[in-house]
Amino acid sequence: MIRKFTMTGLALVFSATSSFAATNISWWHGMAGRNGEVINEIATKFNASQTACALTPVSKGTYEEALASGIAAFRSGEQPNILQVFDAGAATIINAKGAVIPAEDLINNAGYTFDREAFIDGVRYFYADSDGKFVGMPFNSSAPIMYINDEALKKAGVEAPKTWEEFEAAAPKLKAAGFIPLVQSQLTWQFTENFFSRNNIQFATNNNGYDSVTDTQLKVTDPNLIMMFDKLKAWADEGYFAFYGAGWNDNQKMFEENKAALWIGSSGSFGGLQKTAQMPFSATFLPYWGSIKGAGTSSFIGGAALFAMAGKPEAENKCVADFFQFLTSPEIQVFYHKATGYVAITKAAYELAKKEGYYNEKPVAEVGIQQLMLPAGEWSKGYRLGFYPQIREIMEREYGRIFAGEVSVKDAFDTIEKEGNELLARFAKTAG
Amino acid sequence: MHRTKLFDHVILMMGVFFMVGPLLVALMTSSHEAADIHRNGLQILPGGHFIDTYTTVLTKQGGFTGKITGLRMMMNSLILGIGFAAGKIILSMLAAYALVYFRFRFATITFWMIFTTLLLPLEVRILPSYEVMNTLKLTNTYTGLIVPLLASATGTFYFRQFFKSIPDELLEAARIDGAGPFKFFIDVIVPLSKTMIAAIFIIMFVYGWNQYLWPTLMTTDESFFTLVRGIKQILLVWVGSNIPDYNEAFALAILAMVPPVMIVMIFQRWFIKGLTESDK
Amino acid sequence: MTNTPSSSAMSATLAAPAAGGPWGLFGRRKSASKPPEETDAKRVQFNSRLLPYLFLAPQMAIIFVFFYWPSVQAIHSSFYLEDPFGFGSTFVGLANYTDVLKSGEYLGIARFTAVFTALVTFFSLAIGLLLAVKADGVIRGNATYKTLLIWVYAIAPPVAGLMGMMMFDQHIGPLVKFAAFFGWDLKVGLNYNDTAFAMIVVSVWKQIPYNFIFFLSGLQGIPVSVREAALMDCRSGFRRFWTVILPLLAPTAFFLLIINTTYALFDTFGVIDVMVKDKAANNPITLVYKVYMDGFRGNDLGGSSAQSVILMIIVFVLTIFQFRFIERRVHYN
Repeated sequence: MIRKFTMTGLALVFSATSSFAATNISWWHGMAGRNGEVINEIATKFNASQTACALTPVSKGTYEEALASGIAAFRSGEQPNILQVFDAGAATIINAKGAVIPAEDLINNAGYTFDREAFIDGVRYFYADSDGKFVGMPFNSSAPIMYINDEALKKAGVEAPKTWEEFEAAAPKLKAAGFIPLVQSQLTWQFTENFFSRNNIQFATNNNGYDSVTDTQLKVTDPNLIMMFDKLKAWADEGYFAFYGAGWNDNQKMFEENKAALWIGSSGSFGGLQKTAQMPFSATFLPYWGSIKGAGTSSFIGGAALFAMAGKPEAENKCVADFFQFLTSPEIQVFYHKATGYVAITKAAYELAKKEGYYNEKPVAEVGIQQLMLPAGEWSKGYRLGFYPQIREIMEREYGRIFAGEVSVKDAFDTIEKEGNELLARFAKTAG
Repeated sequence: MHRTKLFDHVILMMGVFFMVGPLLVALMTSSHEAADIHRNGLQILPGGHFIDTYTTVLTKQGGFTGKITGLRMMMNSLILGIGFAAGKIILSMLAAYALVYFRFRFATITFWMIFTTLLLPLEVRILPSYEVMNTLKLTNTYTGLIVPLLASATGTFYFRQFFKSIPDELLEAARIDGAGPFKFFIDVIVPLSKTMIAAIFIIMFVYGWNQYLWPTLMTTDESFFTLVRGIKQILLVWVGSNIPDYNEAFALAILAMVPPVMIVMIFQRWFIKGLTESDK
Repeated sequence: MTNTPSSSAMSATLAAPAAGGPWGLFGRRKSASKPPEETDAKRVQFNSRLLPYLFLAPQMAIIFVFFYWPSVQAIHSSFYLEDPFGFGSTFVGLANYTDVLKSGEYLGIARFTAVFTALVTFFSLAIGLLLAVKADGVIRGNATYKTLLIWVYAIAPPVAGLMGMMMFDQHIGPLVKFAAFFGWDLKVGLNYNDTAFAMIVVSVWKQIPYNFIFFLSGLQGIPVSVREAALMDCRSGFRRFWTVILPLLAPTAFFLLIINTTYALFDTFGVIDVMVKDKAANNPITLVYKVYMDGFRGNDLGGSSAQSVILMIIVFVLTIFQFRFIERRVHYN
């Protein structure tokens, strides 16, 4: 059967040269709105750049739904060629040996040479296996950064904080100036996962889950993390921090409307923010704790990567490799970077954007890359945790309860660790 | 007496306000510009962008293939609604006819097998259902969109109930005239069931049109998207960090409700009659 | 329960409109001793060996392929722990069930589902009945009220959820401002109870028209003679309603009770999915949503299947309970 497919595939490739019958490949993704449109533009560009392959992207809803649809389709052999999988879902797909062709192998098999060094440091490990081999091809990559309401800071007479200690000192002045000092948009990504990366603290045993799925345990009862959330809760009580639930936009809105002074968003947010913010703004790195030794390391890469699904004919895999090559070319990277605000993932693309003077024009666009290019710490390379989307759901639930005053911070993290570890154990059983 | 009537009207007005208010707000809001809505919130007065917003929504080519417009989604919704309603009526009339008018060995067990389907909605068995669809290669087809939804027996029960209320004398008379089962079905049952068919059609059309989770799962090809599935896309706009096109979102929501609302309103009389007086 | 002579006879005839629904089989059962199967068929029937099966074939085929096949698969996978991609599965016996039933979170969701179902059913029935009684009472504008009140029936649950989401939006929602007017700091999406409140309001809103239609038809089916007799029997409108009208509506109400319970348990999926905005967080969710979340979003097939089976059992028990107890009291008090 497979042989037959391969033959058909080859036949298609040969006929492509003569009659332009292109090999069709599909790409399921979880992006909507403007970001979804940019994906369509990239596909159009790719299809126009060559004749052998025809790429069709399909939006499957949210990140979670894209992953779920991809898995369900794989089970019945209907998987797409390319599946976009978000950061939290990476472990699910990478641990399923045989579900994907590692991007590095795919590209090498297609006759290209894969160069790990071409990628900026921050994106090199997250979607790679423990030997550093790229399994997923990083695609839309972002970092949690802090957006600054320039006028608010000027009015309060404070500088943008680099550390949470500095924020603590500035918060009363910002409040006195009539602003909510701080809002954020995703406590899991910004204050949990990237709390560990920015402060260089271990997130989970087994090398953050990279070494093995067996007996991997969360370390979320780390006293530093509990301290962070105790502070957040105390700040919320004093009016230095405001929380509007787990919805991204509900929180972002206060910043856009010039009611909040600082907002932790995504490096990918600034495109939209340029249109909606009612005041001038700038951005800087996600703060860390000056009191924690070794803190200030780079953040985890956020966003999502593209995975080449296994079980497809050779000709289609070749097309996927072609597309990955196309996608990582500096020109496309810069186009994507500018169109969406996601960071450029290769050094060459970053240099190109710099050379074009893009960052003089839009300094905010550079913050995310710079944060990802900060020196890496032992614990800032990534994490690999099974059923992590569900663990995030537990975190979201408990965080909501913390700010609703229903549970203490300590108890919330005890629950997260307990339920999270149960899920990890379940995952180890399914993967084993 | 007079005072109680006034009081009745007050209660009814409040009811109407509660029911209709949100719809009016959505309609009015959809006629404003997105930026305006973003800044000033929901609107209760009409804005000046009614026509251009709706034109955009109906004709703007979304998605990668450019095949998907509001009109296309509306057509798909119609196909789903009508196909589902028609399929349901045919299947369930035949099955109910067999259950009521025939004596056969496995009648009781058949009845219970059909009855059981009411206990477990599609949402609960969504994953295995999806796999069955994949096995049968029915994803991205209208068949795959419609047929699995037919695997519930609501219609059969409505018709069964209705058939039982048809006087036995009719069948006796038909048999004296020498009419066989087919003739009796076509000449007596179908004409008698007209109101019932209309009512079931409306109920099932609304049900089919309003399907949400199943079309979301079943359609990966944009040209099969329905309007209600489009709501998912609207939702993403809220969730994501982009600027929401509130006006287009509301316009799409309005479009998604206009056809079923129209059908219910226009055929109100039949609908209510069929729903509630099926024993007459 | 009632002292009006005509009412017991009436309830028998009025059982008929109530029996219009899928549950009519039981609604029509007039004597407790008769098993349902016997009332099922006509006294006069065709005799044919093959034809009934022929007529049933299409329906049965679809039910087998799209209902029984997937359901059996769900039961089967509830005993396995399965790799999401289908590479392998391990038989774990009842472990999926014990995991679920031991989980505090699951039990919390079950508790919420029970409360949610009870409240949604109660309020949509009560408001539907109130409006039906009033619409039945007024002469002027009757048709207009009717039309305006049944509109919402046709709206899809996710669209209703979208409406609710904007009415309860933390920043632009008019209902939030309205609540603030009374000093209620309504925080939908943030406060568990506030979100539950909003979900209940939207779910009730969506279901009122359905109940309204049935109650109104039930009321209009009461013959004028009965009304006049009742009017002479008791002067107080409220008492008259309780002692004459309501018992006459009991079969309708029973039918609606079942429909509304199923609605609240399952059909509110779209409302909830939209209103939690893709992030359940500490927002209330129902059992069906949890099945979807764990199975489809979380890729935990075994756990999710076990939850499906638990739901099947709950619905089954609930249905039996409703038929055995409530229906009997409605009919044979």
